[in-house]
Amino acid sequence: MLEVSNLSAGYDSKAVVLGVSVDVREGEVVAIIGSNGAGKTTFLRAVCGLLPVSEGEVRYEGRPITNLAVHKIARAGISFVPAERHLFPEMTVAENLALGAFPLRPDPGQQSLVFELFPRLAERRRQAAGTMSGGEQQMLAVGRALMSRPRLLILDEPTTGLAPRLAAQAYESLAALRAQGMTILVAEQQVPIVLSLADRGYVLENGAIQIEGLATELRNNPTVRRAYLGVV
Amino acid sequence: MTTEDFDTASETSDLLGGGGGVRQVSSLTAFAAIAVMGIALALVPIWIGDSRTLMGVAVTGLLFACYTIAFNLIFGSTGQLFLAVGAFAGVGAYASAITSDRFGIPFPFTMILATGLAMLVGGVFSWIAVRRSLGIIFTGIVTLTFSLAFDNVLLGLRDITGGETGLVVDAGSDTFLSRQIPPYYVFLSLVLVYLVGYVLLHRSHIGWAFRALRDDEIAAELSGVDIARYRIYAGAIGGGMLGFAGALWAHAEGFISPATFTFVHVDVPVLVMLVFGGIGTLMGPIVGAAVFTYIGEVLASFSQLRLIAEGALLIVLFLLFPQGVVRALRSGASELWRKLRISKP
Amino acid sequence: MTAVILDGILLGLQFGLLGVGLTVVYGMGGVLNLAYGQMAVVAAVVVSLSMSSGLPAGPAVMLGILAAAGIGLALDLTILKPVYRRRGEARVLLSLLLTIGVAFIIDGLLVWRFPIEALSLSIGGEPILVLGVPMRTGSLLASAITILAGGALILFFRSTTIGKAVRSVIQDEVGARLCGVNPSAVRTLILTLSGALAGLVAATQSMTSPVPISAGFDITILALLVTVVGGLGSVRGAFLAGLLLGVVNAMSSFYIGAYITTIILLVAAALTILIRPSGLFGEHA
Repeated sequence: MLEVSNLSAGYDSKAVVLGVSVDVREGEVVAIIGSNGAGKTTFLRAVCGLLPVSEGEVRYEGRPITNLAVHKIARAGISFVPAERHLFPEMTVAENLALGAFPLRPDPGQQSLVFELFPRLAERRRQAAGTMSGGEQQMLAVGRALMSRPRLLILDEPTTGLAPRLAAQAYESLAALRAQGMTILVAEQQVPIVLSLADRGYVLENGAIQIEGLATELRNNPTVRRAYLGVV
Repeated sequence: MTTEDFDTASETSDLLGGGGGVRQVSSLTAFAAIAVMGIALALVPIWIGDSRTLMGVAVTGLLFACYTIAFNLIFGSTGQLFLAVGAFAGVGAYASAITSDRFGIPFPFTMILATGLAMLVGGVFSWIAVRRSLGIIFTGIVTLTFSLAFDNVLLGLRDITGGETGLVVDAGSDTFLSRQIPPYYVFLSLVLVYLVGYVLLHRSHIGWAFRALRDDEIAAELSGVDIARYRIYAGAIGGGMLGFAGALWAHAEGFISPATFTFVHVDVPVLVMLVFGGIGTLMGPIVGAAVFTYIGEVLASFSQLRLIAEGALLIVLFLLFPQGVVRALRSGASELWRKLRISKP
Repeated sequence: MTAVILDGILLGLQFGLLGVGLTVVYGMGGVLNLAYGQMAVVAAVVVSLSMSSGLPAGPAVMLGILAAAGIGLALDLTILKPVYRRRGEARVLLSLLLTIGVAFIIDGLLVWRFPIEALSLSIGGEPILVLGVPMRTGSLLASAITILAGGALILFFRSTTIGKAVRSVIQDEVGARLCGVNPSAVRTLILTLSGALAGLVAATQSMTSPVPISAGFDITILALLVTVVGGLGSVRGAFLAGLLLGVVNAMSSFYIGAYITTIILLVAAALTILIRPSGLFGEHA
């Protein structure tokens, strides 16, 4: 569904990500793991149009979307949940969700699905997003991303700032989404939790893919175990 | 395509013309340039000395050159957008005019008083801007409100200031200042003094601090440069320069009114002159003042066209030459020099 | 006293609308449009000219509003393009300088072509009593229009999809883009709307008192003061600040004097910047 070939991107003409290729097939959950500063966020931003791609190509369902405007990519069926979430702080949960469906009017059916997935949001539907806790904001960010009925959901470090219990809950929700057929690409620093969900994964370090393979392979890979799972 | 602003500081300084032109040439060259320009301008009355109108225009041009040099110091060297250039000059002018006429104090003393007052006002605004961490925009708005408020104060306190009809300034009207040619040389000397002062200031440790805080404010602060103090210096010195020039004008011209010092009448042309000439350059203010005084004179009979021309120029300038003429010329000249050297056998 | 306060509230509504037009453009795109007042004056000129060529008041006002909206649109599509390419402070500065240029051009053109000193619409009729205070028909009509416009604006921002999209861009532009909102299309819309608001205020103002051709700069400053007191970028702030300053203006003009009134408004804005830069009623910094 998503094919990224040889992508290079960076800031101020300094490449942070160099020649990265990633594939995501329909219905899969693909993980991108790597330490801080590895380039995961840069990579995802470049894919979603938030950063210019200096080299390489991004294709979605066969169509090239390299360097397409962010809002056009969003309308094409890809929803991106960035690490900073970028919610609308003065708007209520309901309003945030409604905007997720833009340019269409929010579909009540879709909204109920989101509320089923995240009951806490239903309780707080009239609360201003800026006053919510980190965990609730994360839920709202994902919920908003779902309102446009995306076919591909991309998340950047969804566990940022979340206590372990909330992080686990977040991944349970993602598992539920996957069960409903959603394709997911997720960048994550916390390797164990993401590998428990993912089908395949890529290890990104210093802006390049070091290792790739099935999740089970990665879990047993000695380099991965040493670097990310703390196993000597 | 790109997103949040990672670093707007470099963008702003690109717009404002980062770096002082003074640092790139030696003191000798700078003083030589000033001397040459001074001599050239000193010859101007030879051509236009007979015409009272033209001499008046020339003196006004020199006055605006003074204003622009001061604004260059405040805005160009320390990035403080003081949209109250006219008001500061007005503070000096009215202070000196009123105290000399009402209280009979000889006007050289009232001018010192007036300059002191303008320095105080300038310094206070810098201090406020620093204390409240006002960015460029808010500094601009606050000083703009001062400019407008000052205008209204002048209009409202009719008994003291003469209100809309203005104030006739007696002190100084019986000196050489009121004649046709001498004011030209007086103001020319002031321009030269201001330019030399500008060079000396920028060679000193104060100038070094200015450059540090323009280039990277945070780094400067971390290295121990007291940003507040140097901004206040710039504000005070610049304010004083404006106040003195305004006061001198009051006594030379013999008549001032609120309209002489409004935002539209002073600040906008000064802004245009400085940007055209080149913010942060030594000669920029002179070039800008000269060109726009000339254009103003050419368009004098079409006052509405002047407004349109000023507006169009502002747009064209900021879009095409944010670095100003002096820098454009300089880089053009160094390009030429490079080409000449390369093509030598 | 009631009369003065009533006057103040009505004036305040106009101030509020005026402020909204300026503040929303700033909130949307970090642009300070200093040609705002000129847009208003152009609307007033168009209204006056159409009426003197026989057009009835209603269509004439519509035409005026369209003219001002058109200027807004033109500005966004031309001059502001290079402005949008910059970010942050550089963008505000450049927008400020370029729009001053535009303001001068429009002012120059207006003063050159239209030596008419002031424009006012004559809407006749006997004064009507409101709360025991006689008000002229023109005043009432102007107020009614302003209130309706204000209500429509509030409805627009609260309830419509586009209105929410506008608020989303103000609050978090990246988030808005991720939701599929095209910020430059929204900016174009807002700039056009801003022109329409300026035009509306000028047209309704000229129903009660003459609008001088040279009023452009004064109108811009007034809008700027309302915007600053309400908080740059805050629509609700602009409304409330407008009401407050309107009442202050009316009372001060009546009891003290014209110059002091202006000074009070200026000082209010300066103090707001110094004490609470996010505005007296601002929602966010």
